[in-house]
Amino acid sequence: MIEPHALDIPTADDIRGLVRPDHVHRRAYADPAVFQLEQERIFGRLWIYVAHESQVKKPGDFVRTRLGGHEVLVTRGEDEKINVLINRCPHRGARLCMVDQGTSRLFSCPYHAWVFKPDGSLSSVPHRQSYPASFDLNDPINHMQRIKQIQTYRGFIFATLNENPAPLLNHLGAMTEVIDNLVDRAPDGEVEMGESYFSVEYRGNWKLHMENAADIFHPSFVHASSVMPARKAPANASILDQDQTREMLLANGFGFKEWEGIQLNGLPGGHAYMTNIYSNGVLVQKEADTIATQYRAALVAKVGEERTAEILGMNRFNNIVYPNLIINAQYQQMRVATPIAVDRTLVRIYCFRLKGAPDEMFHRSVRFLTTLGSPASMIFSDDIEMLERCQQGLSKDEGPWVDFSRGFDSDRRDANGMLSGAASEMPMRVQFQAWLNYLTAEAA
Amino acid sequence: MLDPTTQRQIELFLFEEARLLDSGDFQGWLKLYEPQGIYWMPSKPGQTDPLNVASIIYEDHGILSIRVQRLLEERALVLTPMPRTTHVVGNIEAEPAGQEAGEAAFKVGATFICIVHQGDKQTLYSGRHSYDLVRSGEAFRIKMKRVALMNSDATHAPMTIPL
Repeated sequence: MIEPHALDIPTADDIRGLVRPDHVHRRAYADPAVFQLEQERIFGRLWIYVAHESQVKKPGDFVRTRLGGHEVLVTRGEDEKINVLINRCPHRGARLCMVDQGTSRLFSCPYHAWVFKPDGSLSSVPHRQSYPASFDLNDPINHMQRIKQIQTYRGFIFATLNENPAPLLNHLGAMTEVIDNLVDRAPDGEVEMGESYFSVEYRGNWKLHMENAADIFHPSFVHASSVMPARKAPANASILDQDQTREMLLANGFGFKEWEGIQLNGLPGGHAYMTNIYSNGVLVQKEADTIATQYRAALVAKVGEERTAEILGMNRFNNIVYPNLIINAQYQQMRVATPIAVDRTLVRIYCFRLKGAPDEMFHRSVRFLTTLGSPASMIFSDDIEMLERCQQGLSKDEGPWVDFSRGFDSDRRDANGMLSGAASEMPMRVQFQAWLNYLTAEAA
Repeated sequence: MLDPTTQRQIELFLFEEARLLDSGDFQGWLKLYEPQGIYWMPSKPGQTDPLNVASIIYEDHGILSIRVQRLLEERALVLTPMPRTTHVVGNIEAEPAGQEAGEAAFKVGATFICIVHQGDKQTLYSGRHSYDLVRSGEAFRIKMKRVALMNSDATHAPMTIPL
């Protein structure tokens, strides 16, 4: 780990020199000093998703995750409030919690047995009499360090290291629609995170994954090796999953014809989403789908026919909340890409249960998670291969500029942001415009 | 305890499976499975539920055959260069498990180590195999193979060749 002061942090002019309207310099992906600035100004200032409330239902429940350069614990305190605490004992600096999730009424440091409550306050130290009279259990300096700014939107917990952030809703903007849509799909109006998820690490910059998630152009090329066998395979040969896996693999085979009608949307702040994706035979619902029919009936019973049609009518694939959150509401999927180093990224892939929906709907969501997000996924593994090859190429000095010009002449702008067809690299241009703005902004 | 002949036949069957995988004969490997056979690699230690808990792989013959074709397909990007593997299977313990459609059935446990070499990378996998096997004439067929990776719940890089 390079200490920040060891690097010459790029100036605003340096950063401006890396982004052209339709090109980006390789340093944006490969320069550790640029990465350090991103950690400070993007992951250190923006609202970053840290956990879902269903993971910390009871006092003492916790999950371990990352926020900027810190490892943090998201906990539910005895007062039911959510806390985000740096996973470090304030005494000697030891990491406190060594597991990713669990329940504990007390966090105890094994070294000299300082014991903390789930809100990070110091509960006790052994042999109190040997500490100075001035030693105060209530002094925050002796508590686990708290991240002060925490806001929740419909169960999704965000935190920021920024001490004076604009409200979370300002940052999310129109992207609240996809969180709303995910939650509204639950007949009981609530989603619950599935207990299993995948952690996949690749040797590449975090932005490569966020660009790939916004890229409708690549699947027919990158995923040909799973599309072709899926096309040759007979329908309904699998007894496990009502043919879901084969159809998901097939869906990547869409090409120029299916691109018609798909619209990409880019928003200020770097967000993007794609609409009209599940039409034209791409993962469109089959007529005789008894599970979907039962689910729809459960939703109609709670919210009525008109509202159900509206909720299920939201037809999007990836919804990309800048900088690192990707949500697919139709299949209750979520991804978080966490930068580890300039050339290392951890991707965590989750799915949600729609409360009040038939169990089989959750089984589908779990199946979707495995097919698209498992380390052995026939889809994701090929994506990662390309991200790693990009990083390998970008880490060399030759050919410093990366081309993002596709669709540049045909993008449109409306009151909400940018619009383009499926083939455009508009979402990447929007991401880099936001990146430029965040990195060159002086004050928090 | 099984008679030594049957025990030995089962051991040789597991060695054959390892050899087919190491030699890249994935079609031959798939033929070891029953038409409804399942390959299961859980994502959590002790996982018993493949429906509510995501698995790294939970595939039956129909999906496995797509996976196998992809391994043999030229354009599978993650397979260039083609990985080479060494599958080592040991501590094989088998016990009778009654009859399946008139054929003798067996439960088999084994440990495994697999080293995957790809380009300049080496990856080490280890864990425990559990098989449900049925007799098929002189040979056996796999009804279920459960691959419990020691680090099933860890952060992983992409996996390619079945373990």
